[in-house]
Amino acid sequence: MDIIGFYPTFYMPWIGSAWVMGIIGVIHVVASHTSVGASFLFALLATKAYRENKPELMDFIKRYGKFLLVFSYIIGSVTGVGIWYAITIASPRGTAGLIHSFVWVWAAEWVYFTVEVIGVYALVYLIGKVDRLTHLKLTWAFALASWATMLLIVGIISFMMWPGSDAWYQTGSTNDAFYNINFFAHLGVRTGSMLVMAAIVGLMVVAGMKDKPEALRKSVVRTITPMGLIGGAIAVIMFFYYLQTLPHNALVMLDAHLLPRYSWGMIAVVTVTAIYLVFAWWRPLWVTTWVAVPLFLFIAIVGVWPEERMRESMRKPYVAGQYIYGNQVISRDVPGKGIQGEVDVIAEKGLLKLHPFIPERLRTITPENQIEVGRILTKISCANCHALEPGAPLRNIPDKFYGSTDKDLISAFINGPLKHGSITYMPRIDLPPEEVEAIAAFLAEANVRRAAGLPPSTVSANADAQQE
Amino acid sequence: MDVGTVLHVMRDPAGIPSHPVVFQVLMIVTWIFHIAFVLMTLGTAALAIAAFYKRAPGTYWEQLSMAMTKSAKVGVSLLIVLGVAPLLFTQVIYDPQWYTASVLSARWLIAFIFTLIIGYCSWFVFYYSNHEGAKKRLGIFALIGLGLFLLDGLIMHVLAYQSLLPDQWMNWYAPEGVLDTRGAKLHAIQWPRYLFIISLSLPALGLYLLAYADYFRNRPDRAPEYLRFVRRLGQQLAVWGLVISFVLLLIWQFAHPTSTKLAEHPVGWLIGASLLALAWWIRRRGMLVHGYLPVLAGLGVLSILAIWRELIRIRYMLPFGYDITDYTVHADWPSMFLFFSTFIGVGGLVGGFFLITIYKAGQVEGLYTADRKVARLGTAAVAVLGVWITIFFAYGITIWMRNAFTL
Repeated sequence: MDIIGFYPTFYMPWIGSAWVMGIIGVIHVVASHTSVGASFLFALLATKAYRENKPELMDFIKRYGKFLLVFSYIIGSVTGVGIWYAITIASPRGTAGLIHSFVWVWAAEWVYFTVEVIGVYALVYLIGKVDRLTHLKLTWAFALASWATMLLIVGIISFMMWPGSDAWYQTGSTNDAFYNINFFAHLGVRTGSMLVMAAIVGLMVVAGMKDKPEALRKSVVRTITPMGLIGGAIAVIMFFYYLQTLPHNALVMLDAHLLPRYSWGMIAVVTVTAIYLVFAWWRPLWVTTWVAVPLFLFIAIVGVWPEERMRESMRKPYVAGQYIYGNQVISRDVPGKGIQGEVDVIAEKGLLKLHPFIPERLRTITPENQIEVGRILTKISCANCHALEPGAPLRNIPDKFYGSTDKDLISAFINGPLKHGSITYMPRIDLPPEEVEAIAAFLAEANVRRAAGLPPSTVSANADAQQE
Repeated sequence: MDVGTVLHVMRDPAGIPSHPVVFQVLMIVTWIFHIAFVLMTLGTAALAIAAFYKRAPGTYWEQLSMAMTKSAKVGVSLLIVLGVAPLLFTQVIYDPQWYTASVLSARWLIAFIFTLIIGYCSWFVFYYSNHEGAKKRLGIFALIGLGLFLLDGLIMHVLAYQSLLPDQWMNWYAPEGVLDTRGAKLHAIQWPRYLFIISLSLPALGLYLLAYADYFRNRPDRAPEYLRFVRRLGQQLAVWGLVISFVLLLIWQFAHPTSTKLAEHPVGWLIGASLLALAWWIRRRGMLVHGYLPVLAGLGVLSILAIWRELIRIRYMLPFGYDITDYTVHADWPSMFLFFSTFIGVGGLVGGFFLITIYKAGQVEGLYTADRKVARLGTAAVAVLGVWITIFFAYGITIWMRNAFTL
């Protein structure tokens, strides 16, 4: 192996590409879960309207559907593509790995997406334009197709966490990758959550229907709130099951870093949501815009942001299937696909020799370019999860070393825990001594300059500082 | 390092799950539908704006502006979702090219998302405002929307074009040997290509109007004079648009690097000939022929264009020895079956049910009652989804349990 198929690196100072992905991801999850959940609310309400001869219920579906067209089918569908783009630039090899294992699954999901987009227009704009039975069929077909998009994407996202057995590594079969140990638990959490999110958004829509009769608003609220409560109960139960299906590195990350930070927020969201839904069922007409909108924002932001952040963080150090690290290095062999691990060859030859996108003048380290090379190597090896600037919000590395200016200390960490892969949520990074020294020199220098109150040096910051 | 070797090494080591030509064909076919909706959307959006500013009492411009605003609104939804498939299949066989081009202009890729959201929301504001007697200043929302759509088209063009120039990547990533990891630039634009493809939105609009006029032929609430006006306008736009596109195609034809010998390739000239032939046909028979036929002919032209794009890519990759047919294949039959069965079963029955119902309901003023065939299709659509989900779980549980018990 004389070259490894690395891509150029994209680095977003301070927040890293991870937060770009996180922000887009949260918007998408809120929009898409609302959409899938709402499709089932529509199906239930449309069935009720049909069976009990209450066509006025369709007014709610029409209003909610028009809201969904903007919220879910513009923002949701564009951010869906956005997540794809964000992971492409943050982890091109990780994305390629997923695409090449799951292309047919994604293609099947695309069929459903297309059907869903056509379906939402049919559902909303044909209310009162087609006979009621045909519309009811449209509504149920739309609901089932929407859920199918979730069924298909959850298998891929679960695989990103881990396959859960040795089967996929040996066979390379998409079956073994898709129906992984994490899949059903994860699906349960998302299916429950989608019903909750749809009920919460539904209450917001009802709150905006003051021009409609009270009886209609009451009837809608009393139909959707039990569905939200049942969905919430499913989500909570499945979440505890989900925790049992996680790999060891995820559990360590969860106990050490994530639960201490997010557990109270999660408990608060579950409690507030449950109280809100019960209250709304009890007093449907008290649900006004001033109650519904802030609670939606609270549940969406405080509930979904930590959930998505946790899922992303727990996966570390991997981005896919526990075989591709966040820093794009393949960590192990996958015989079923003919994939070979790259950590050892990097240890032997070094990134500077193997990476195709290193300028020739920097392939050999000299005292003049050591800091510059150190910065590049740090970006390649660490920037998928860490910011490089002292004080930056994304787990910045200079702060992780407590502002240390001691090159030996930093080298010792790289040559110790990192080289041997003894920190479960960090990749095994084993580099030749001169590359380790370059990284240590760069990080020490960053802390020296910070201590002196100086901006990053023009050598170490190179193009970024000059061109920003 | 040798660029060709690097390209090969950058391919995903997992290989691909079916023969590369399968993906190539799907990439080409799905792009045809994507670009058709792109062109329809840009064309209808432009006409919606022009008609909005042109409207006056007693003319049909107001009615047309509202109709085109709706068409563009639906068009954006569909072009986005239809764009997913060609992008997916491109990443399978041209992953080194696509990912590198994306990373090198990463900020623009992210900007694409937010500008598309803003542009689409802006268009929705215009859609909700564009009714009888709407104030002219509201047109600004439409202009912002269309402007951002064109910008997004430019970003996608740049990524596609940057993918073709792997020998330039290092110059862009590390100009004068200094690494630039910001992804802040659009490095390469081939204006003739971009403008040619965008210009096709004019004839696409013309053809769309011909079909529109025929679609509403039986609706009593659409005046025959209005439909004749639309049809005449469609004919003029199609003919002039095709001529303009032909001129831009000529410029593009001679913009290809000489070494590629693409200027001599017959397929490029076939596009030119088909544009002129279509213009001639529409000019002579545009007012008489059934409006759906020109749309089919337009799709034919786009099919040649889709093949031409791929031939261009193959020719650009030739010096680097990049040939998709030597991509390692690890065949995965079950997932391939999943796609094709879903495509036929769900796409055909459920998509067909939705489309036919929309189509038929749109042709009726007032309530549409499904005939026996549509009613049965609706039942079949729900049933096929039920069957699909049942098999999905039964099959999945079997595999999951097998792997869980061999942990």
